[in-house]
Amino acid sequence: MLKVDHERCTECRMCYIVCRELDINAVYIALEPLHRIEIDPEACTFPGCTACLMYCPAAGSIVETETGRSVVPPPAEAWRS
Amino acid sequence: MRDLPGKELAQELIAASRAAARATPMEDVITAADGGRLDNAATHRLIGRLWALERMFYYIYGGWGQGLEMNDFPPSVKYLFSKQIVDESTHEMLYMDLLLKKGFVVNQKTAFADPACAFTVNSSLAYYVFSLRNLATYPHTIRIAALNLGPKVLELAWTEALATSVDDADVKGAFASQLVENRSHVSMGRRIVEEFIAKPVDAELARWAIGIATRDYCRYLREVADITLGRPLTAPTPPRVRVLD
Repeated sequence: MLKVDHERCTECRMCYIVCRELDINAVYIALEPLHRIEIDPEACTFPGCTACLMYCPAAGSIVETETGRSVVPPPAEAWRS
Repeated sequence: MRDLPGKELAQELIAASRAAARATPMEDVITAADGGRLDNAATHRLIGRLWALERMFYYIYGGWGQGLEMNDFPPSVKYLFSKQIVDESTHEMLYMDLLLKKGFVVNQKTAFADPACAFTVNSSLAYYVFSLRNLATYPHTIRIAALNLGPKVLELAWTEALATSVDDADVKGAFASQLVENRSHVSMGRRIVEEFIAKPVDAELARWAIGIATRDYCRYLREVADITLGRPLTAPTPPRVRVLD
């Protein structure tokens, strides 16, 4: 599972655009806290899809929920899965 | 602090728009929501039409941005404009999230062809969009005055009313969360008029541009209300002057 690290995220919304374009729609605009980017773990297909990790320009802004490990840029195993 | 030259003009323009803000065609939709008559199908049509306009702002602001030059205005004016572009994009995303979450559309691709969400040239939506886009050739201060002290004041009023009237928590949240940005856009417009519209000729131009933008916005809102409530579309008012050659 993935989540956004709001200390590092620049809210550029590239993840949102690519996720919507691929029709996965896991990235969404939260109403609270006001209009922050979030990832819906129910809809996210990671590690099946890693598109947002490749488009994200801010290293460390998307992390594994369980370990807190940064997956931006995508780690080597993401390319093999 | 010194008195800003356009202070009185800004107050005049905001007061005029506020006076008209609760008399727009959206009042019919608000009344329907108050009476619990805004069912899922009507909500789909409402959000679809609002999304269709929001996504056209990428096109409108793109044209306005091309009309900006280096050093024509201080950086603060351009910062406020970039903030407004991001906010408008946020609202577009909020409406799309809502369309997907409520199952009104299967995905973004199908939304473009959905009758409630589609953009068609022969519509009041297109008329309003082209009207705003047309302001690309006017000074940035004039077009910001036209949008932010005209339609944005009306939008703030009906959004606030709908956020109170609708029962559905998701729809209510989408409207309520936009209020902070809509209020900010009106304040940005006020500040820009106060600071940069000083000459009488510019003040007249701003009054004219607000009149045009508000008229065309109300025409779009009439279409939104008609489509949302399943009414036949209201024919536009014929122009007062016919151009013959």
